[in-house]
Amino acid sequence: MDLIMNLTLNGLATGMLIFLLAAGLTLIFGLMDVLNFAHGGLFAWGAYSGLWIYAKTDSFVIGIVGAILTGFLLGIIIERWIIKPVYGNHVQQILITLGLMLVLSEMLKVIWGPNQLTASPPDYLKGSWEVGGVIIIKYRIFIILVGFLIFAGVQFLLKKTKIGLVVRAGVMNKEMVQALGINIQKVFMFVFMIGAGMAALGGVLLGPYSGVIHAGMGMEFAILAFIVVVIGGMGNFKGSVLAAILVGLSGSFMAYYVPDLSLAVNMLLMAIVLIIRPQGLFGAKG
Amino acid sequence: MTAIVLIVAAFLLLLPFVYESRNLLILLTQVFVFSIFAMSYDLLLGFTGIVSFGHAMFFGIGAYSMGIFMKRFEPTLGYFLLAVLTTIVITGFVSFLVGLLTLRLKSHFYAMLTLSLSGLFLVLAEKWRTLTYGNDGFTFRVPELFIDRTNFYLLCMVVMVAVFLILKRFTNSPLGRVLQAIRENEQRTESLGFHVLHYKIAASVMSGVLAGIAGILYAISLRFVNTSVFAMDITLDALLMTIIGGVGTLVGAIIGAGLIEFAHHWLTELAKEHWIFERWIIFFGIIYILVVMFFPRGIVGTLSSISWKRKKQHSAKKEGKLAG
Repeated sequence: MDLIMNLTLNGLATGMLIFLLAAGLTLIFGLMDVLNFAHGGLFAWGAYSGLWIYAKTDSFVIGIVGAILTGFLLGIIIERWIIKPVYGNHVQQILITLGLMLVLSEMLKVIWGPNQLTASPPDYLKGSWEVGGVIIIKYRIFIILVGFLIFAGVQFLLKKTKIGLVVRAGVMNKEMVQALGINIQKVFMFVFMIGAGMAALGGVLLGPYSGVIHAGMGMEFAILAFIVVVIGGMGNFKGSVLAAILVGLSGSFMAYYVPDLSLAVNMLLMAIVLIIRPQGLFGAKG
Repeated sequence: MTAIVLIVAAFLLLLPFVYESRNLLILLTQVFVFSIFAMSYDLLLGFTGIVSFGHAMFFGIGAYSMGIFMKRFEPTLGYFLLAVLTTIVITGFVSFLVGLLTLRLKSHFYAMLTLSLSGLFLVLAEKWRTLTYGNDGFTFRVPELFIDRTNFYLLCMVVMVAVFLILKRFTNSPLGRVLQAIRENEQRTESLGFHVLHYKIAASVMSGVLAGIAGILYAISLRFVNTSVFAMDITLDALLMTIIGGVGTLVGAIIGAGLIEFAHHWLTELAKEHWIFERWIIFFGIIYILVVMFFPRGIVGTLSSISWKRKKQHSAKKEGKLAG
């Protein structure tokens, strides 16, 4: 019981981190038709900048805020100067975002050095609770809570606000939204910024969770996020959270029972989805 | 143009007999190997318009097949041929499967599936320790014929020229023409009655097998193989070489390979002077982004379009004179 509980919580926490990365990817893809291969780079930038600020100020909250702001800033710069000039050309877009990934992760090594850095949660999130003989690590609960909060927040933004309405309309038909007199470019930038911020938040939360951060972790998580985006359906926000939890849980259970196969199982899941439901398990449109 | 190519070819052919620098020989061998790899990549990216982010997978399969055969069995020519055959079968099968799964969907899916599959192969190579010796890799002996660096240099050169000619023929064949039509406009090609999926899968398989052959040569040149052959860096190398050299031109891939390999060599030397050169890849990343944004046809494409424009201007002037 203890074991299953722990594996479930572990899987949920990992799933939430993947969700933070995948949600931005899927929103950006749905609205702008851009598959951002640099998203993992934003994730790693969030981790490095956030933990650096955390180390300097000694406050984890300021670190998190700093990471999100870094994400916003990078998102604006990338959208404005690098992705905007190549809108409409799929091959160029894919190529340019991968180049960006390369530059972002190399920059990390230039600024913070090529070695991995260690990180630990702040005192109030350290340790664990014991509930009826089951040991629950505090930090995992924290990640799960933050993940659900972000999910609820973005869901509220999409469903209840004016800008959310425009975004949802844009996913369905960009030209029509533009014809109605809405500046879709501004919406693009907003969505890209939010997506980058979420990725950066995921990165800074991962730091104390895994204990170490390194420049290659962006790519590692990006691969999981791509799997999630395919399983959940490209452009499907709700699908991405369900798929992220699925991938997180299967990863955590497989890692315990058959460690060598944990990535393979997720890949297999993706291959099956690609064969039978290329629009994603939870997607409606193709 | 042909004269320049012939002179360069003759120069490269005679070089090992005149100038005895082991380092230069090894460097040039690497250039040939990566030229093959970059050309195979260009067949996908430049001629068919498919983006693959896991090309290292095929390279790695080739390298490991060769390494494992040479390590487990005797390093003879017989086992060498068997390793080549194994590589062709495995890379052909994997590229066929990946193509079948994703090429009927949007171009993003192929990029994503290859990226994650190559990640899977990397993990496989790390975990299947009885076969691959894990992260550390292993050294192996090579067939006697290839022990001599000059012989191997010539072999790589011959294979590169052969691959170049095969791909030249392939891309100019009716099949290659259809591939280029797919790159230009997929829907139109489909409506002209071509079964686009079949053609794309053919390109994917051809490209995968050739990348596997590049991997074989790479493993023999190092006489060592480890998990780095599956790393993202190898795919990035191919991308940089084709994009900077010029997509859609086989010569561009070769020039790109030469440029990147030599620059890599020199910049690593410079790293002793200043640590920033250790991160040499960042310069290429920036150049790469600029090339994609402003010169999407790369060095060769941009140069040939300039010379073409000049010719046009020239002939226009002539015509003007005649008319006047």
